[in-house]
Amino acid sequence: MNSKQRLLAALNHQTPDRIPVDFGGTLTSGIHVSCVAQLRDYYGLEKQLVKVLDPYQMLGWVEDDLKEALGVDTVCVAPYKTIFGFPNENWKTWKNEQGLEVLVSEHFRTKIDANGDTLVYPQGDTTAEPSGRMPKGGYFFDTIVRQEPIDEESLDPEDNLEEFQPITDAELAYLESSVAAVSESGRAVVTSIGGTALGDIALVPGPFLKHPKGIRDIQEWYISTAIRKDYLHQIFSRQVEIALVNLEKIFERVGNRVDVVFLCGTDFGTQTSSFCSLDTYRELYKPYYRQLTEWIHGHTTWKIFKHSCGAVEKFIDDFIESGFDILNPVQCSATGMEPEKLKRKYGERIVFWGGGVDTQQVLPFGTPEEVRAQVRQRCEIFAPDGGFVFNTIHNIQARTPIENIVAMLEGINQFK
Amino acid sequence: MARNEQLYQAVYKGDQKTAEQAVLKALEDGEDVAGLLEDSLIPAMKQIGEDFECGEAFVPEMLIAARTMSKALAHLKPLLGESGIEPKGKICIGTVKGDLHDIGKNLVGMMLEGAGYEVEDLGVDCSPEKFEEAVERGATFVMLSALLTTTMPVMKDIVEYLKAKYPEVHILIGGAPISQEYSDSIGADGYGATASQAVTLVEGLVAK
Repeated sequence: MNSKQRLLAALNHQTPDRIPVDFGGTLTSGIHVSCVAQLRDYYGLEKQLVKVLDPYQMLGWVEDDLKEALGVDTVCVAPYKTIFGFPNENWKTWKNEQGLEVLVSEHFRTKIDANGDTLVYPQGDTTAEPSGRMPKGGYFFDTIVRQEPIDEESLDPEDNLEEFQPITDAELAYLESSVAAVSESGRAVVTSIGGTALGDIALVPGPFLKHPKGIRDIQEWYISTAIRKDYLHQIFSRQVEIALVNLEKIFERVGNRVDVVFLCGTDFGTQTSSFCSLDTYRELYKPYYRQLTEWIHGHTTWKIFKHSCGAVEKFIDDFIESGFDILNPVQCSATGMEPEKLKRKYGERIVFWGGGVDTQQVLPFGTPEEVRAQVRQRCEIFAPDGGFVFNTIHNIQARTPIENIVAMLEGINQFK
Repeated sequence: MARNEQLYQAVYKGDQKTAEQAVLKALEDGEDVAGLLEDSLIPAMKQIGEDFECGEAFVPEMLIAARTMSKALAHLKPLLGESGIEPKGKICIGTVKGDLHDIGKNLVGMMLEGAGYEVEDLGVDCSPEKFEEAVERGATFVMLSALLTTTMPVMKDIVEYLKAKYPEVHILIGGAPISQEYSDSIGADGYGATASQAVTLVEGLVAK
């Protein structure tokens, strides 16, 4: 089996020749740029500056040589624009606070504020208000909330729809050429089409917009899911209309050369609970997800990838009914997310893409032996009969010891 | 004093307008200020916290109730001061240096305020000195929050720094990657997995 066949077998709930592995296929299954750099050194790969694929979470680009070393079976066609609203193009060097030199888009323009924090600007426009902040000594950006005072009487869903637009020719050309460039790579092609996330809290503040309007404050958005449901229905409804037209155009250009599509990163779970009730999920989200997934399943062979952190066990039946084929990151450390239970109850109906090792405790703070042991145990539980793609639970975070990452890979290899 | 049902229900359901009207009416009618706090506001927040614990209320409902409680409390605060009624304790809360995440921290702060404590919210990206200044202002509880595995270790430094100077101050920690084991290992006085558990933890230490 080549990588693509291996991954597709697992996605079709068939037993592959070995467990398929993803690192860097999506923006929720990647590796912090500092760890990518260390892994390149560890494996003695060609000296080169690592490209920052996602400047928000500072995820590094996993090049083919590193994919070989890590046994990665996926290839990522990244969104045309980053979360800060600019394309990754014309790379330039940038040194982070820890002294690591990396490559970033020419549009990644920053300023240091009085506090020593690094500020980044929407669409690279330093005359606009900054939309991202990396605190002094930090490793990641967070979005800056730019919320104008809310007047209930004049709230207009159009204000929250600014980012959802008909796909441009430039984006279509990018997707077509990027997919074409990797479709013969032998790896499974994973892409994100944009505009299909329903209220992803990372995107709500509009870090890609120069002057976001509408509801952009994070707490205000969560409150809106309870008290302004009509407003959200109007946003989601219009958003999906636009997305369906875009999907058709994208499919015309990329066809079934895409294997997996990242649809939505909205987190429904917290560490111990959820951000809404199951009833709210069914009323406010599921109908719109179904419109999208029914179109995709009716017209393409793409498998649909849903990311949601946290304690979402009670949502999984509804995720399946919503048309999701894949759940990520499978946060086994959250309440009710015990791996044996997940595999037993849902393993034949949804693919677990993640869950391989805990990134809150074991991977960053455990010993290499603890990492190996957990990886082996998770593989034993999740791998039988396919339906499992190995990935850490969310991105590998900065400051994760390199020996633990290597121990994780040894754990996978021991299982094979 | 009996519970003011209208006020209790308005806070519990997050109906700001009704809550404010109910408070103003109660004050006009000469209801006891401390009674309104202890028998209506605090029980309403306690109930929403319990609902959250058993999966019947979620982050939005907690935020709405807490916001409503704050609005109602704003009318009572000056009167409580005048009547010489002291808060149950003084607490400072903040997200540690290098970390900008605050939803969990905000919820804990709101629930503590809703339980009758005076809460000073220090915001995000807080240095050890920022917590120290709040202790100097009279806080006897210091609550630390972190979401990231890269910032969680900062808690250890803050605990060491504050415990050396203020051994009597209680330091409690919380956040997604935090565990009881971690809390024990850095010498913190406790850990709560949820906002309600944080309140229970504080209540337990106050009662000692």
